[in-house]
Amino acid sequence: MKANLTRQTFIAGLALAGFSLAAAPALAQSAARIGAPAPAFEAVDADGKTRKLSEFAGKTVILEWTNHDCPYVRKHYTSATMQTLQKDMAKEGVVWLSVISSPVGEQGHVDGARANELTRSRDAAPAAVLLDPNSKVARAYGATTTPHMYIIDGKGTLAYMGAIDDKPSASAASIEGAKSYVRQAVAELKAGKPVSEASTKAYGCAVKYAPVS
Amino acid sequence: MAYALNRQFWRQAALALALLVPGLAQAAESAAVTSPRVTATLLSSREAVAPGERFQVALVQKIAPGWHTYWANPGDSGEPTRIAWTLSQGATAGEIQWPAPKAIPVEPLVNFGFEGTVLLPVEITVPAEAKIGERLTLQAAATWLVCEKICIPEEGTLTLDLPVAPAAIVAEAAQSRIEAARAALPAPAGFRGRLAAEGEALALTLPGLPAAATELRVFPLSDTLIDHAAAQEVRTADGATLVRLARSSAFKIAAGEIAGVLTYREGGLSRALTFAADVDPALVGAAAGPAAAPAVPRIPLPAAGADLTLWAALLFAFAGGLILNLMPCVLPVLFIKALGFAQLARASRSQVREQGLLFLTGVLVTFMALAGLVIALGAFGTSVGWGFQLQSPPLVIALAVVMTLIGLNLLGAFEIGTSAAGVGHGLAGRGGRLGAFMTGALAVVVATPCTAPFMGAAIGYAVTQPPALGLSVFLSLALGFALPVVALSFAPGLLRLLPKPGRWMLILKQAFAFPMFATAIWLIWVASVQAGPGGVLAALVAVLAAGFIVWLVGIARNSGRGRLASSLVALLIAVGAGWFVTQSAVPEVAQARAGDTETWSPERVAALQAEGRPVFVNFTAAWCITCLANERVALSRQEVKDAFAELKVVYLKADWTNRDSQIAFALAEQGRAGVPLYLFYPGHKGAQPEILPQLLTPDMVVTAATRAAGKEVRTATR
Repeated sequence: MKANLTRQTFIAGLALAGFSLAAAPALAQSAARIGAPAPAFEAVDADGKTRKLSEFAGKTVILEWTNHDCPYVRKHYTSATMQTLQKDMAKEGVVWLSVISSPVGEQGHVDGARANELTRSRDAAPAAVLLDPNSKVARAYGATTTPHMYIIDGKGTLAYMGAIDDKPSASAASIEGAKSYVRQAVAELKAGKPVSEASTKAYGCAVKYAPVS
Repeated sequence: MAYALNRQFWRQAALALALLVPGLAQAAESAAVTSPRVTATLLSSREAVAPGERFQVALVQKIAPGWHTYWANPGDSGEPTRIAWTLSQGATAGEIQWPAPKAIPVEPLVNFGFEGTVLLPVEITVPAEAKIGERLTLQAAATWLVCEKICIPEEGTLTLDLPVAPAAIVAEAAQSRIEAARAALPAPAGFRGRLAAEGEALALTLPGLPAAATELRVFPLSDTLIDHAAAQEVRTADGATLVRLARSSAFKIAAGEIAGVLTYREGGLSRALTFAADVDPALVGAAAGPAAAPAVPRIPLPAAGADLTLWAALLFAFAGGLILNLMPCVLPVLFIKALGFAQLARASRSQVREQGLLFLTGVLVTFMALAGLVIALGAFGTSVGWGFQLQSPPLVIALAVVMTLIGLNLLGAFEIGTSAAGVGHGLAGRGGRLGAFMTGALAVVVATPCTAPFMGAAIGYAVTQPPALGLSVFLSLALGFALPVVALSFAPGLLRLLPKPGRWMLILKQAFAFPMFATAIWLIWVASVQAGPGGVLAALVAVLAAGFIVWLVGIARNSGRGRLASSLVALLIAVGAGWFVTQSAVPEVAQARAGDTETWSPERVAALQAEGRPVFVNFTAAWCITCLANERVALSRQEVKDAFAELKVVYLKADWTNRDSQIAFALAEQGRAGVPLYLFYPGHKGAQPEILPQLLTPDMVVTAATRAAGKEVRTATR
């Protein structure tokens, strides 16, 4: 029910804009909460198909916020750790959705064709790449950085949100020995255990948000 | 290129050259690492370093417009600047001393960082074993993220190569840039906050912020505490400021305390404080998720009382306590005590020791009681400081009466105590156990107006620390204060150095009455400043009543009759006089006392700085002897007045004779709990002040004035 409130609270937040930094309350009141139903969304993927969260009911879903020109994202793709993770997750039957929230004119913005080309050229293996040029999905989840990772369990509950690993650095040297929060959470979910670190501080470049219209 | 040449030159030059002629300037700034976004250099406050010294360097980032680098907690995205040091000669580098960050909106997110040019100072320690004639190489491998909307990770290795010389050579321009940056670092807050849950959100209670503070923003060091972009609602409750903070989506908290920086505006000035807040244990329990949370990264900030460690504070306090013994109002009390020992010593050594220990107990108990009061009041957010007891006119008058009575007693006008043993002993020299204890208490009470040098910083440190640490500083002060008398009581050898008791003792005792009367006069003058003519009247009436009472009681005792009646009359007079004092000695609004000074206010400082005028602020009080001494020997000297006139320095006076929360706050901001405090503000808008020592000389003031006026002076080398 909190999810339905989001838009209203957001508009109320805008009304209070003079009170604080303009649209700031929007993310503060984002509905993404560990243990609560993950915010529903609808977005067009790189092939032009409309995808909904509800179509993956019963499966574990990973959301990866991405921006191919962000140095932190590049760290994970040039070292192939991201692609390896995507492939390993696919083997586990996990649905991987990459989300691109950059609006037109901002770094990271791509159209469907370019998104597919990036997937091919980088040998990436997402189930789908979601295009979110109005930053609607990003707002619903309160995504702050690229990468920013969310894991939704088979019941549609948000099980993990935060960083991809525990090395908040853009340096390639930081890959080695990093602990993958995503692998840990998925393994724990699979074993029927509670996720031990369900919420961590995401690191990376700021998500480029579309202005609210 | 000039740098490379210089380096070559130095490589070839042998020991002789390294032994430095000033002017053979080594570059105090490294070669730059440049990108279209950031030009980074390493700046050194030294052209040559001396073994065993500590000095400051700074990583300078000149950031292109629209771009920013990050603070220790970068906010919603980003990464702080980091430095990995490689130092020769076994030198060590401290942590980055972070300037106050700015909240940089990247809507709808917020980053914490820096725009324009930022200096990140780091302290370098040169080991005492560093070899003169060799080189100290400082290599800083720095990494930083610079973002506009897009982010670029950058890195660079910045190298400085400095000669080790017998005496350091200061690089003046670099030193003044680094010191200006350090002066602008957030100052330790004079209070501890408290963080507790408020429903889904957090409530941070800040008990010591001025009511006039606006645009308050909390920057926690931990990046998993608050939602960085959420509005921070500020309200006041019970005189404290409360900030409502939305929790981070990755909320994690450890037991103990949180730390961070507060920025706000007051009177048109931007201010920044480092603060710590105790974490409500209930909050920690609720936050401990399913499993152990990873440790919150701990990034050290300059601690409260930035440049003072606990040991240094203890040492300063001890030394300050020792020096207090020499104050004119304290010395007579102690000297009479010592003479008492000399007489007693003939009777019993063990009795002398006992007296010494009782004196020590009296000192400790009184000090701890006063310190406990200061700390407790501070904890409740009342802005008091050391010496606050003298901000109440009735207490000042009571002290004047005590001084007068001691004086009368020394003159032999009356005796205290009924025992025959009391003959020849007065209040302070009294043989009884209670007497010894009371002497200790009395000595502390009369000593408080004289905040000795060294004590200001130590007491400022004490009141910003957790109570246990604060009390230990006061304890050290008390021990230093009691040491001479206690040592005397335990060292019969010292007592033997005194001449034999005789007529000279009586004469000396009587002579010591006069410093006491002088102190009483001074206190009555303080009362006149605080409460005007009414205060003087009240003080003199109180002295008269006290004199009459001791006379009356003395007569009754000697005649052996009418004791009850005279005691009743005495009580009546005492109550009447007390009532009169509290009625007539009402504090007046402090006025600037000297003709050529203006009254201080933060707004006035800001306005003058904006006009380009350097500003000197004298935080003083009528009851502060050190302050008055400084005014006499330095501030009112003609050469200082001339320099002020020539450099167009405006002299502002902040008079803390009466309680004033704005002044108490300004003191706390500089890490002080009491006066004197001397600040020199350069004549640029928003520039941070230089703090002058607590003991002034005319030279010191003139030099500081020249610096503040922007006329460079060669800094003395160490």
